[in-house]
Amino acid sequence: MDSLYLLIPIALLFCIIAIKLLLWAINSGQYDDLDKEAWRILADDQPATPSAVDDEKSAAASKKP
Amino acid sequence: MYPAIDTRALDESQACYHCGEPIPHGVDLSVAIGGAVRPMCCPGCRAVADLIAHNGLENFYQQRTAYNDRPLQQESAALEQYRVYDDPQLAATFTTTDDAGRVSASLLLGGISCAACTWLIEQSLAGLPGVTLALVNLQQARLDIQFDPGQRQLSELFARLEALGYRSRPFQTSTARQQSMAEYRTDLRRLAVAGLGMMQVGMFAIALHAGDIQGIDLRYQALLRWVSLPVAAFVVLYCARPFFTSAWRHLKQGSLVMDLPVALAIGLAFLASAWATISGTGQVYFDSVVMFTFLLLLGRFLERRVRQRQLFTWLDAESSLPSAVVVRRDDQWLTVARVALHAGETVLIKAGETVPVDATVCQGSSAVKEDTFNGEHLPRSVAAGDTVYAGTVNVEGALQANVLGDYRDSRLAALQRSVDVAQTVKPRLAKLADRMASWFVGRLLLVTSATALVWLQLAPEKAFWITLSVLVISCPCALALATPAALTSAASALRARGVIVRGENALESLWDCTHLLFDKTGTLTEGALTIALVQPLGDIGQQELLAIAAAVQRYSNHPVAQAFASIPAASNFEHVSYQVGAGLEARRNSVTYRMGSAQFCRELVPEFPGIPDGHHYWIGLCRERAPLAWIGLDDSIRPEAGDVINSVRRMGLQVELLTGDSSGQGPLLAHALGIETINSGQTPQQKMARVQHLQDNGAVVAMVGDGLNDAPVLGAAHASFAVAGATDLARSQADFVIVGGDLHKIIETLHKARQCRRVVRQNFTWALVYNLCAIPLAAMGLVPPWAAAIGMSLSSLLVVANSLRLNR
Repeated sequence: MDSLYLLIPIALLFCIIAIKLLLWAINSGQYDDLDKEAWRILADDQPATPSAVDDEKSAAASKKP
Repeated sequence: MYPAIDTRALDESQACYHCGEPIPHGVDLSVAIGGAVRPMCCPGCRAVADLIAHNGLENFYQQRTAYNDRPLQQESAALEQYRVYDDPQLAATFTTTDDAGRVSASLLLGGISCAACTWLIEQSLAGLPGVTLALVNLQQARLDIQFDPGQRQLSELFARLEALGYRSRPFQTSTARQQSMAEYRTDLRRLAVAGLGMMQVGMFAIALHAGDIQGIDLRYQALLRWVSLPVAAFVVLYCARPFFTSAWRHLKQGSLVMDLPVALAIGLAFLASAWATISGTGQVYFDSVVMFTFLLLLGRFLERRVRQRQLFTWLDAESSLPSAVVVRRDDQWLTVARVALHAGETVLIKAGETVPVDATVCQGSSAVKEDTFNGEHLPRSVAAGDTVYAGTVNVEGALQANVLGDYRDSRLAALQRSVDVAQTVKPRLAKLADRMASWFVGRLLLVTSATALVWLQLAPEKAFWITLSVLVISCPCALALATPAALTSAASALRARGVIVRGENALESLWDCTHLLFDKTGTLTEGALTIALVQPLGDIGQQELLAIAAAVQRYSNHPVAQAFASIPAASNFEHVSYQVGAGLEARRNSVTYRMGSAQFCRELVPEFPGIPDGHHYWIGLCRERAPLAWIGLDDSIRPEAGDVINSVRRMGLQVELLTGDSSGQGPLLAHALGIETINSGQTPQQKMARVQHLQDNGAVVAMVGDGLNDAPVLGAAHASFAVAGATDLARSQADFVIVGGDLHKIIETLHKARQCRRVVRQNFTWALVYNLCAIPLAAMGLVPPWAAAIGMSLSSLLVVANSLRLNR
């Protein structure tokens, strides 16, 4: 049971690292738009969208997959 | 995520596939989207849907969770309007250029309704050659775009957004916006730290509780307590700080809010546990403290997020003005940015355009539609010497006008300011939770001191720990969660039904609501003139008369002409000419036809009779030597209005009509709908005064409106609704925005608010019953810490689960 004296501080260390990482992610704006990110996972399942969407419809049509 | 719109629920032949608004009679527009032909309500929607479908972006329609806004129908070419942003000086105010020569700009978007819109915009812009980055932030309705100025012009990007049906303008970072973003991140940081802290402390606590039951070596108990202490201390000092500051701030003002018992419970439980750890006696409650903090932060975070998302999505009044204007400089007509205008310059306002600034007409005559200010759709005639106001629409002929001042001095800006003022006078009902708190804190302190006194007599050595356990057990977690959990749950349920909840505590105000005030035009009525009746004056049949009228009106911009737009026009009419302020003249087979005021018709046919009655807006139709008809127009009542008003009545609310219209229409409509109290001919100030008068007499007032002119009164009412098609300013002031424009949603919202009240009361009852049972046990010294922790979590979970019932 004496291993607790080593293991618990290590657990705390991991906790501190996790908090640091999370704070970094929040501060760098990765959680600023939760609604969109939640939705984007679904959108990635869509077939590839046309690479070019241009004012000239003929140009867009020719590039359509 | 919110469920995708169930289009099957709507009668598809009735609603526009793009914007969800009902399709007017006689409109037959459609677009083939993904193999199916979808109906459209207007050319604007059709153009947008066509663009989306033709670029392979049909998936947007499957993915979106809300209908799109109906695109504005701009007469002038969109691209021309945005050319001014290509001016380097103006562009420099909101763009930056990097070393590689790429330009980055931030644009504020109007009309973003759901996450799929971000996909649509990003896909459609990122595919353009020359655009290197397009990123939409949904929460802020902001588009960050980076492009190569050699291949793309800024104006093309603006025009592209316009073509997709979104309005855009340079993104200005306001302090309010930055502050709200900073608060959001702080909340999230606190929540994250509290969550991780809770896991750590919870892990140690399980070991401690297990130790309590099956026995634990004292040195391991001390170790576990000592490692819990710093983690809990960090959570209390960092995460729980808002509770302490808020409790203290309100205490200084002499008011007891729910944060006070929360702060007391967190603070005392933590101090007692810390003392127990240091002295090696008593009990620790670190897990309860940390969990309590996390649950409350989570409740608040969710509640705030539901509201905050809608906070900045709408543009202000100024963005409805054109960004480019035609001005006379050095004897030439130049197109310049509106912001670059100076007082005294002469601008040209073409027919169909929005007046860009307050100005005095110096040449030309026309009529301006001033629904912005008075809610009326019939225009006011103006001629040289009259003043026209920014934000109104010039409907008839071109005007030249002298600029009076810039936007800040305009009547529109004054209206916007009065909206801000209205917000500050808005009476706030004391929150139910805070009323509970002031009641609860007093009782709690009483019980605690009684416990302390009794135990001091019986067993002084136990008194301290037992008194503390009473305080911890009575920890008002469930009590504090009772309202936010219910409000959040009800708000997301409403959102799924097409009602956006914006206002803080709007649901709370609504469930106590005693008076429901309606605006007339655009709220109870459709907001557009339709043909009510035709009185033939000759022997020509009604069908034919309407066909003639439609042919004459065909090329007019006047609001009256829209009433005839859906009628098949008779052929062979030519030489249509317009007489400002009078009417239209046309020729068929060398016979002159006239349509307009009685006087205008009498010039052609002297015996033309007077108008039949004062209830309608009458237009005369005649041809040489023969009066043909009087055509009566009015603004038709929304089909569901009568139903809705009856239901509101049955719910025990007083219904009133507040309208800016001074004609006979108001009382007539009120009579038809059974509304007894009518205030017609009201200015926005009088409407405000009426609302405040009711509020002073103790009424809780909810207001339903749509226009810019309603915005101040929407801001002042306890709770307010904006119906679909409402101007952005009205939406941004309303607590509830009804997306589909169906007045039945008002009833649904009222019911949801009342259901929410029931759930909140159940939550409070449960929390109090729990406390009533637990406190005596604790006061007798019978509750060990592990039981306290379990009891507290269970009671909180029960409250949350009960609140989730509102989500259905």
